[in-house]
Amino acid sequence: MALLEVKNLTKDFGGLRANDQINLKVEEGEIVGLIGPNGAGKTTLFNCIAGFYPPSAGEVWFKGENITALPANLICQRGIARTFQLVRVFKDMTVLDNVMVAAFNRTNKASSAQKKALEVLDFCGLVTKKNMLAGGLTIADKKRLEFAKALATAPSLLMLDEAMAGLNQTETAEAVELIKKVRASGITIFLVEHVMEVVMPISHRVVVLNYGRKIAEDIPEKIIQNEEVIKAYLGEKYHAARRRY
Amino acid sequence: MKKNTYQWFLLAAGVAVLMVYPLVLKLPFPRHLMIMIFLYATLGLAWNMIGGYAGQISLGHAVYFGTGAYTSTLLLMKLGVSPWAGMLVGGLLSIGLAFLIGYPCFKLAGHYFAIATIAIGEIAQHWMLNWDWAGAAVGLTLPILPESLINLQFHTTKLPYYYIALAIFALTILVTYAIDRSKLGYYFKAIKGDLEAARSLGINVARYKFYALALSAFFTSICGSFYAQYVLFIDPDSVFPLMLSIIPCLIATLGGVGTVWGPVIGAYILIPISEFTRIHFGGGGKGTDLIIYGFLIMIISIYQPFGVIGLTKRFRKKEQP
Amino acid sequence: MFSSEIILQTIISGLLMGCIYALVAVGLCLIWGLMEIVNFAHGEMLMLGMFTAFWMFTLYHIDPLLSLPLCLLLLFLIGVATYFIIIKKILKAPFLAQILATFGLGIFLRYLAQFLWTPDFRMIKNPLLSGRIGLGGIFIGIPELTASAITVLSFVFLYWFINKTEIGTALLATSEDREAAALMGINSDRMFALGWGIGAACLGVAGALMSNFYYIFPEVGFPFALIAYVAVALGGFGSIPGSFIAGIIIGLVESLAGLFIAPAFKYSFVFVIYLLVVFIRPQGLWGRY
Repeated sequence: MALLEVKNLTKDFGGLRANDQINLKVEEGEIVGLIGPNGAGKTTLFNCIAGFYPPSAGEVWFKGENITALPANLICQRGIARTFQLVRVFKDMTVLDNVMVAAFNRTNKASSAQKKALEVLDFCGLVTKKNMLAGGLTIADKKRLEFAKALATAPSLLMLDEAMAGLNQTETAEAVELIKKVRASGITIFLVEHVMEVVMPISHRVVVLNYGRKIAEDIPEKIIQNEEVIKAYLGEKYHAARRRY
Repeated sequence: MKKNTYQWFLLAAGVAVLMVYPLVLKLPFPRHLMIMIFLYATLGLAWNMIGGYAGQISLGHAVYFGTGAYTSTLLLMKLGVSPWAGMLVGGLLSIGLAFLIGYPCFKLAGHYFAIATIAIGEIAQHWMLNWDWAGAAVGLTLPILPESLINLQFHTTKLPYYYIALAIFALTILVTYAIDRSKLGYYFKAIKGDLEAARSLGINVARYKFYALALSAFFTSICGSFYAQYVLFIDPDSVFPLMLSIIPCLIATLGGVGTVWGPVIGAYILIPISEFTRIHFGGGGKGTDLIIYGFLIMIISIYQPFGVIGLTKRFRKKEQP
Repeated sequence: MFSSEIILQTIISGLLMGCIYALVAVGLCLIWGLMEIVNFAHGEMLMLGMFTAFWMFTLYHIDPLLSLPLCLLLLFLIGVATYFIIIKKILKAPFLAQILATFGLGIFLRYLAQFLWTPDFRMIKNPLLSGRIGLGGIFIGIPELTASAITVLSFVFLYWFINKTEIGTALLATSEDREAAALMGINSDRMFALGWGIGAACLGVAGALMSNFYYIFPEVGFPFALIAYVAVALGGFGSIPGSFIAGIIIGLVESLAGLFIAPAFKYSFVFVIYLLVVFIRPQGLWGRY
């Protein structure tokens, strides 16, 4: 049984169909990448799975339970954590307090939450900054904090929404290492990314969306050669031009 | 001396001073002043739970104060119930009210929520002005009972009132302290910081907003009941007015919202100023101290929205690594 | 039950009063829509408009109709001053500070007025606009009628100004997207100040008009401000015509509620409308969001 199963998921915003009958599975222990041109519906899919808003049709199944249209807080308690594209840290709270909020997802005691928070901060390399106000961090550190918060909720599935955006090369390499460490600790990862150098090397499988539909799903090596994918990113003319030569 | 030891010493000293204060200053006015400080500090601490920690700006809190005052008074007058029981019933009633008000209002964001609380406060005051069974505009004069602890009335001296008020004040500080360190406090602050992020971390936002409001309403209500027993007269204009909703908010903001000691500091600054201006500029109704309030609110919001504690944090930041 | 004359009379009074509510609401809506700051001192600024007209009449024997331009100008300046002295400094402040800043201003102005001019109710006796006209069994006060006419004219002018002039378009642009407008060379600082000026000027006009037939006292403004909040919510955030029409609707509803339900509760009824609107249709009737 797959950890996460999305069945025929459709999401309409008024007249716009942002997700159209999407089917996909994420198996436990995998890293699955979700790519596609801007506006393909990747974040919308994430939001539907995470309970940000309910899908218009279709179902989401997690660990054998139908979690479609559950509110976001219950989905987090079930074991799905997500990060936001534009980081949402609690800027007037310290780094440690930020992560403690997340850690309270699994405990009612402040001492346990603090212990867990410190562990996660150490894992993410933020422990030296634990008393800094989150609002004063650099972008890279804010993203790391966002990551730490999601981790501290002790999820089974971690969904990352463009976690690499805005990072330089060193920061990106560090982030990739962090993702690998997380997966090694037993958490399944589902990530949306634009940075191909990140997605392709680490993903076991890649799913491609375009105009709200899933147009391809395969291992990374095959995806980059996939005609439909190339057409989606680079357009018909390029595709035609390629074929001629 | 380590920082913690220093803080404990300060706290113990403070408690000692407050305990002997009325025994040293035996005149009614200094005692009254301190009772007012305790009362408003408690109101500020109570408001702080929903407004400072959870970030939901309620400007209609007087409705809980009034509920407490009227419940204990009516129970006393119509059924002879002891004000202590009346205080508890009032508190529970206020929690119920918090649920009724919160359930629909928490769906509103920001300004709309604040305006809704103002609207509810105005409606409540208006209804009380027209409710004859509860005294309407004339108000209720509490029956003079023999002075005793059970009756919560004392006529010859303010001393017992002082210690009761101090006890209520201390209890509210303890509860705030407990909130601050616990899951409740962290969740409240998360809700204030970023609602959607809080939700995505597993927080049932509606439920925790209600917890904050319920706690806040309960302690506000207790103050209302105490006030009724202290002044022995209540009417809609004294226990339901808008200003009574604003002052706790101002006190908490002046001292520092979302902290344990902020409202306490705020009360210790504001209430003496208020009482002294009332004496010095006297007549013309309750005008002049409110001019100062208005001015102070503006100054704090513009220059130091994090209050006195915000100021001290700025100085302390230089010491941190 | 009630005669058709009484009902008609109630409707007409409601509509006329509603026009005043409408103009007050439009001023609030302009500021709120422009920069998402609610002017909690709105009622007190209206009160200042009324007192200006009152003192012009009492001290210098200038009729409110003639001092209307002065009230407009004075309130315009007060609005601009409020922006530069207070609002500009809290644009990036925490939400609590934004609410409290204008709230504090309101309290300050209200009790300063009470201190300077006592809480007594004042009236302007025998202004130019006085008396009433009778149509059938219905009596319409001339000051109220003129006030409505002028408020409607003001609204039409405002609507033209915002939608058809260059400055008005700049205002609209700033309210939609401050940064994009800045890229077009629009100075958002000046736009905000202008917005506050115009918003307050509406109160100057409304105040001068009301001084012809309404009691003038320091606390007079607060109920009008509350009704304005309801009107802006009902009309829809950001919609100026929406606020205007909503104001008139509220005047009507309030009047009829006073007749059919109970005069003491008509005020509460208006708030019930507010609560219903924000729960059932939060974007209001014509709102942007």
